[in-house]
Amino acid sequence: MMNRRFFLKSGGVAVASLGAAGLVPSFLQRAASAQGASGITGGAASGRRKTLVAIFQRGAVDGLNMVVPYGEKNYYAFRPSLAVPQPGKAAAGESVVDLDGFFGLHPALAPLKPIWDAKRLAIIHAAGSPDSTRSHFDAQDYMESGTPGRKSTGDGWLNRHLQSRPEAQASPFRAVSMTQNLPRVMQGRSPALAIANLNDFTVRAGQASQSVQGGFESIYDTAAGDALRGTGKETFEAINFLKKVNPAQYKPENGAQYPRTAYGNALLQIAQLIKAGVGLEVAFTDVGGWDTHVNQGAARGQLAARLTEFGAGLAALYADLGARMDDVVVLTMSEFGRTVRENGNRGTDHGHANAMFVVGGSTRGGKVYGDWPTLEADKLNEGRDLALTTDFRDVFGEVAQKHLGNADLNKVFPGYAASPAKFRGVLG
Amino acid sequence: MMKKMIGRSFFNSAAPRRAWALALSCAMLAGALPVASAQMRASSAKSQRLTEDQRAAHVLNRLGFGARPGDVERVRRMGVEKYVEQQLQPAQIDDAAAEARLRNLEVLKLSSGELLARYPQPNFLLRRMQREGKLPSDLAELRDNRKTPDAASNNTSAKQPDAMTGATANPQPNAMPGAMPGAMPDANPPAIDLNRAEYRQAVADFYRENGLQLPQRVTAQLQASRILRAVYSERQLQESLVDFWTNHFNIYAPKGADRWLLVSYDRDVIRPRTLGKFRDLLVATAQSPAMLFYLDNFQSVAPNPNAGGVRRDQMPQRGQQAQTLPQRAPAPPATARPRRGINENYARELMELHTLGVDGGYTQKDVQEVARCFTGWTIIDPRGYGRLSGAMKAENSGTSYFNPRQHDDGEKNVLGHKIPAGGGISDGLAVLDILSKHPSTAKFVATKLARKFVMDEPTPELVSRVAAAFTKSDGDIRETLRALFSSPEFNAPANYRAKIKTPFELAVSAVRALGGETNAAPALHQWIARMGEPLYQYQAPTGYPDTAEHWVNTGALLERINFALALVSNRIPGTRVDLSRFSGAAQEGGAPDKSRAIDAFAGAILQGDISPATKASLLKQLDAAATNPSAASMSAPAPNADAGGAMMAANAAADAMDAPGVGGGRRAGQRAQVAANNAPVSDAARIAALILGSPEFQRQ
Repeated sequence: MMNRRFFLKSGGVAVASLGAAGLVPSFLQRAASAQGASGITGGAASGRRKTLVAIFQRGAVDGLNMVVPYGEKNYYAFRPSLAVPQPGKAAAGESVVDLDGFFGLHPALAPLKPIWDAKRLAIIHAAGSPDSTRSHFDAQDYMESGTPGRKSTGDGWLNRHLQSRPEAQASPFRAVSMTQNLPRVMQGRSPALAIANLNDFTVRAGQASQSVQGGFESIYDTAAGDALRGTGKETFEAINFLKKVNPAQYKPENGAQYPRTAYGNALLQIAQLIKAGVGLEVAFTDVGGWDTHVNQGAARGQLAARLTEFGAGLAALYADLGARMDDVVVLTMSEFGRTVRENGNRGTDHGHANAMFVVGGSTRGGKVYGDWPTLEADKLNEGRDLALTTDFRDVFGEVAQKHLGNADLNKVFPGYAASPAKFRGVLG
Repeated sequence: MMKKMIGRSFFNSAAPRRAWALALSCAMLAGALPVASAQMRASSAKSQRLTEDQRAAHVLNRLGFGARPGDVERVRRMGVEKYVEQQLQPAQIDDAAAEARLRNLEVLKLSSGELLARYPQPNFLLRRMQREGKLPSDLAELRDNRKTPDAASNNTSAKQPDAMTGATANPQPNAMPGAMPGAMPDANPPAIDLNRAEYRQAVADFYRENGLQLPQRVTAQLQASRILRAVYSERQLQESLVDFWTNHFNIYAPKGADRWLLVSYDRDVIRPRTLGKFRDLLVATAQSPAMLFYLDNFQSVAPNPNAGGVRRDQMPQRGQQAQTLPQRAPAPPATARPRRGINENYARELMELHTLGVDGGYTQKDVQEVARCFTGWTIIDPRGYGRLSGAMKAENSGTSYFNPRQHDDGEKNVLGHKIPAGGGISDGLAVLDILSKHPSTAKFVATKLARKFVMDEPTPELVSRVAAAFTKSDGDIRETLRALFSSPEFNAPANYRAKIKTPFELAVSAVRALGGETNAAPALHQWIARMGEPLYQYQAPTGYPDTAEHWVNTGALLERINFALALVSNRIPGTRVDLSRFSGAAQEGGAPDKSRAIDAFAGAILQGDISPATKASLLKQLDAAATNPSAASMSAPAPNADAGGAMMAANAAADAMDAPGVGGGRRAGQRAQVAANNAPVSDAARIAALILGSPEFQRQ
């Protein structure tokens, strides 16, 4: 602790003595030192920040068509018009992409197959919230608060992770949601930014923006003894740093092609923040359109179109980050699954357990994790849904502990006996 | 006949959970840097006692939404104590002028049933249109045959309309097609794909032909009413208390029927009881359809409900304050499916958040017992489906009632109090009695009031004094506030300009400080949302936290600065400031004097409470701008230099916002935006923005 404080002080002196304020923002120095001092598992020596990218599929994706249990007879019996044909039973692109002889990816997710083959993609099936609600509202609330069944939790589990590992003066980019509003999962005492577009993170006064910003900088800088002074300083440092990063000119690497959608742009800008080394620890974005009650489609159609965008975004992020994926874990989630049987409108209704993806970092990929409850009629939840065998907190907890180095999961998931014994072993 | 209809619609509406459509996405919130409130104060030397001007500014800030030009002088002359006493009796303050500004907000005058009728959900409307043969024939045929139109599978990556099931999207309260809520029930979903352009067009036509409006307008008008009253009402304390109690008994508008039910909640539940007995407010919220819906009690049913006697009372008329819920027993059809069981949500939040506080001394067993007491407290046709199908009378939709058939009539034990069997609706009322008299409630409510009006971390002494006043007065809110406002802590210099304003307080106080005008067109609320406090859109029942650390952080501070810039350069459609009234004074009798200009604005905005360092920074900034002609317009700053064409364009946009043709208004708004963005920033605007965005103005 003493060492760190000393480092912070001398870091500030070093910048000042260079006489080049803004060359290296002080928050980055602090971020780097905090990282070094906190002993994050793996990579601490290198001083590189571990990053979690959480993606919420809002609206309840149909996990059974996203990661298809094509070895289940009942899958085809229950879904006459929605089932995706077994591998080889139809042309490539019209049939399941085989993963392990039992499960396969929806053909729209074919871009994820090379990541699976490289053992950097793991899947947890039959996972989700133990709460039985079928309300989007409540289920999203629970998945974000991390306290299923308890509505009065004031903060989100990602924020509680940040709270439980306080950094005296963290980078303002430690937690960033690439959304218009800060999502429930990131709300709480620890600072978190919601930025719909990095290009908008600036003082907006038309032609006078630069000089007006200078005025505010000066006012906040001279506000001695005022706690807002520090906030102001961080704000302007962040603005100035982003200007240098120049988000408008970003060029993805390795031929990565992000979907030209809000979701694709969010992932692109997350990649940009990671590469810029701004101290990003937790990033979030969401992608919608999964509530397929009507005309869901099978290998093609409505759900396929959504999965195409979803998979293309993941694949682009993975390609773009290249070797940096060693320090990045991507985690996907959706509030609940959908009914095993198709409904009368060639769609599916609100169900229970679902599938989650984990990509990158120390992921022990190429495997579908979890106990498969089967689709036997008597094994279904309430006679209609995929039963739950993995509590989402055991997945979130494993990522928080093994990737982000959180040793105090009881603070992240209050009221839940989180324990490594319950982890699925998705991360090494 | 009536009984049967109610029964049927009741069971229809209450069957499975629904997918909720949201107009706006997740509650927008800021995280925060840990900022100790004690450190928030400027360290400049403060005298032991506030001056009379400071005391006047203090009560204007803390009891209300800040001073308008001339207010400090007015309050000082009247006497601070007299002003406080006057504010404690809002009914005796003439507020006709402010109320007149609300006359165009139609929703405020409508009952929940009328709102459900006039502002229906598009997809339920579609079903009704089909039933009535009003869908274009080719579309109806398409639906009947359940054909899969090619278009339907290709247009899904278009803008996702439903914020709960779609991604977090920009709030667009006025957007017609993009804002179609896509709520779909679990079972028997309609075979209608609202993404289809033909359906959208048919529905849009139907809305227009029948004088209907989209449900998003309900929340937008309610938000506008809160802004207008905060800006213009002379009953400033009343508006602060509406804000406080609405947040204490928080409800999230995008949750299902709450969008429609919140209008009555504001008008009939909160507003009449801000300064009365706490118990009355508690009972009113407990019986309100909005709360029954938000915390799920409306579907809380005893596992083995009482099959006892059927009692019926008269339904309450709108505006009537029934002490108890009307009782009504919809006869369940023989084929009715069993409903869900007990739901504990309300019971838990009632004790944790509304009364005792989380450490207030209740157990999980108490939660279960309280939940049993409230079984059968429910809502008639909460979403207006029954009314849409013609089976319901509009005036009954969205009203609450007690259904003895769903009530657990056995004996209960709550916090050590025995509640005998057979109590029916009185079980719940007994619980509310027990809770409102509980010492933990006095302490919890006192703490929250002290936090709101005095300091982020109220001292134990202050809390116990205020709690004692609460208890002694049998939970009289007016008496409790008297104790609070007369406390040494409230009047201590240490607490002067020490509390961080919420975004709502900041926006309203900025408009008031500049003597601005607003018609509360949605753009102003969108700024409040961007700064982190969209009204009626905090998702969790806790309500917004009321401490500095929640509101002040990097992202939120940048938005506060940008709000200041947008306001002073009249870039907020529907809201207008005229800076010449301040800058004009500074340039009387010759060339503009920068120092005097700064003093004029600092006087108006901060009552002169500006630090020498800030003033020096402002002067330096003006000099720097003067040497850089491209950065500022220095050529003889006419009183309205900042406004000019941009202001006219913005006003045109604001006018268009009021007009029915919303699309045109949006386009005009965009044009105004472009014009204003390119407008130069005058010295006056620069000074005003820097002061509004300064650390000093973030506090009250």
